[in-house]
Amino acid sequence: MRSRVFVAAIAAVALGVVAATASASPQQAQANKLTVWLQVDAQSGWPDIVAAANAQFLKDHPGWTVDVQYQNWSDHLQKFDATLAGGNSPDVIEMGNTEMTKYMAAGAFSALNKSSFENAPQWLSGLAKSGSYGGKTYGVPYYAGSRVATYRTDLFTKAGIKKLPTSLAELIADAKKIASQAKSNKGFSPVYFGGEDWYVAMAFVYDYGGAIARTHGGKWFGALDSPQAIQGLTAYKNFFLATSTASKTNDSTNPNPYDVYAQGKSGVIVGPSWYSCCVGAKYKTSTAQFVLPSHVAGKTLPGFLGGSDLAVPASGNAALGSDWIKDFTGTTSEKGLQAKGNIPNATNLLGTSINERAAARSWFVPTAKHWVDVENGNILKNMLGQILTGKLTVKQAAASASDNITSVLNGS
Amino acid sequence: MSETEGVAVAAGASWPRRHRRLTAARVRRGSVPYALILPVIAAIGAILGYPLYNLVRLSFQHYGLFELIRHQGQSVGLRNFSSVLHDSIFWHTLVRTIVFTAVNVGLTMAIGTAIALLLVRLSAWARILLTSGLVLVWATPAVVAVQVWIWMTNFQNGIVNYVLTKLHLGDYSQHDWYATTFSQLGLATTLIVWGAVPFVAISVYAALAQVPKDLAEAAEIDGAKPWRVFADVTLPFLRPVLLILTSLSIIWDFGVFTQPYLLIGQGHIHPGNYLMGIYLYEEGYVKTDFGRGAAISLLMLAMVALLSIVYVRKMVALGDET
Repeated sequence: MRSRVFVAAIAAVALGVVAATASASPQQAQANKLTVWLQVDAQSGWPDIVAAANAQFLKDHPGWTVDVQYQNWSDHLQKFDATLAGGNSPDVIEMGNTEMTKYMAAGAFSALNKSSFENAPQWLSGLAKSGSYGGKTYGVPYYAGSRVATYRTDLFTKAGIKKLPTSLAELIADAKKIASQAKSNKGFSPVYFGGEDWYVAMAFVYDYGGAIARTHGGKWFGALDSPQAIQGLTAYKNFFLATSTASKTNDSTNPNPYDVYAQGKSGVIVGPSWYSCCVGAKYKTSTAQFVLPSHVAGKTLPGFLGGSDLAVPASGNAALGSDWIKDFTGTTSEKGLQAKGNIPNATNLLGTSINERAAARSWFVPTAKHWVDVENGNILKNMLGQILTGKLTVKQAAASASDNITSVLNGS
Repeated sequence: MSETEGVAVAAGASWPRRHRRLTAARVRRGSVPYALILPVIAAIGAILGYPLYNLVRLSFQHYGLFELIRHQGQSVGLRNFSSVLHDSIFWHTLVRTIVFTAVNVGLTMAIGTAIALLLVRLSAWARILLTSGLVLVWATPAVVAVQVWIWMTNFQNGIVNYVLTKLHLGDYSQHDWYATTFSQLGLATTLIVWGAVPFVAISVYAALAQVPKDLAEAAEIDGAKPWRVFADVTLPFLRPVLLILTSLSIIWDFGVFTQPYLLIGQGHIHPGNYLMGIYLYEEGYVKTDFGRGAAISLLMLAMVALLSIVYVRKMVALGDET
């Protein structure tokens, strides 16, 4: 009796732990239904363009339905992995351009016929590169975006700033002028972006001629400990400490920079150009944007060219998935995306908006198979937090991050 | 389990002692209790046993994204286990998790028991008010609670910073509650303890109802101080409940994932602040190394089972005494 109860209790405990760590989310595939995974950006920013692509697709393929499911950047890959295991992947998936390589290398996507897509010869080279592997095309460029400064024109005028800064030193001087005008405003940050916003920080590294990682002889090497990168990181630290009172250990979420701005707590926010959407009614008319200047006068700070690709998972419906992508990335769609403040996917569609000018000098993450693991492992963010809080010197933090990056990028 | 045993004993008792020979009828009758628990065993086997079998199998394979797409792992023997056991991150995480669990369970049990003792002494309306509050906390989903915590501790606009500053406890405007690992895990502790206290408080309160009042009175008449009464009279009655609650809390807190992961945020998770549950998730899911993830989860399972043995034994011993 005693031992039996004992064994049963142990078994119950053991099974309880397993139950607590296991989970599943079944999704039934259905005939004549095309499942599309897009990021929430499309849901909040351009649902009309999605609807138009769906309408076009349904016209060409009567009897079909399109099920667009919106995903979040933070966990869409884990969800996608689960569908790969279960064999119920979507037919089309939006991937960040930094996420593509690992999945292409593993054979997660169907190869697509590049020449069947509109404007394919003129695709933005950065995006097109992120969607090709071993000479084949797996990802169709969807749109891109760069990071710019959104600022309060009234504060600049009040501080007596007559022209926009053309160098980093000028920007710091301007920020100090704005700060002295806003002394009574508690919690005011002349420039606002999270200290661990690595998209901003790495721009400084590339501006000084550094890089996150370099490749030679088929191996990747973390390069943040190079003298140029150290210079860039030091410049970033000085810039942040001189101009921002934002959290040193947060990226640019929670709070979103535009919320801080809308509450009148910042003069300049750094981030995607669509930040202008949400600056608040009060400042709508006194808001404009400029491209962040480089430490070299007259040049711009290289911006991270973020973007998305659309791919067809290997188990999805390749023919129809590819047709939907055609409808969604045609000239009309891309023009619509451009009108919403994005960079369209092809050079022949480029205009002269601030976003597109910022993209003229840009940088991109290392195109290593395991790059996404560096991103998800928060190696860069952690390093920035250590640098800004002074826990480690720039040199120490960069050296340790660099070693980490080397080992992750060369992982199996 | 004990009820089924009772049924078995009762069924056996109705049989005259002299017919001990194995007859078909006896076997049929004797197997009834086992037949009755069969559906439960089958259900548990299908729902938990099969995945557990797969988990064990997975732990002996290299199973990454490439293998996931082909539904075919490569057998690697014990490599996943040795790679985990040779990973210094694993050992650091383990120590951190044990300390974290000890603090969380300790606080949960202490505060929960204190509230239960308070409940006994309260007037009826205050008790109803407090119990409703406890039940509301218990009913709040962890994800919702995390969001509330995030808002309250917001760097820029959080009410915690505002209140602390207004109370003149120092300048907390723009205090960063997520700046250090200690502070991050401390916040997670407040959230976990807050969420777990109601269950402990209500369970202990229920157990307190079983403590005979006359015993406590007798002790008081004999001149025992309140603390002595609690330690020598009340506590022995509570011990079985406290043991069960403690062992359950250890199991929950050792593998806790939702609260720390969401509160600290994916963007701030790094090996320096891993807890075991998060370590498992990062290594297995985020790095798409499912074989290694399976090995970690089996190691966690073994540890929790070991931790629990001590308590389960005591529980069983107590069960036999009464």
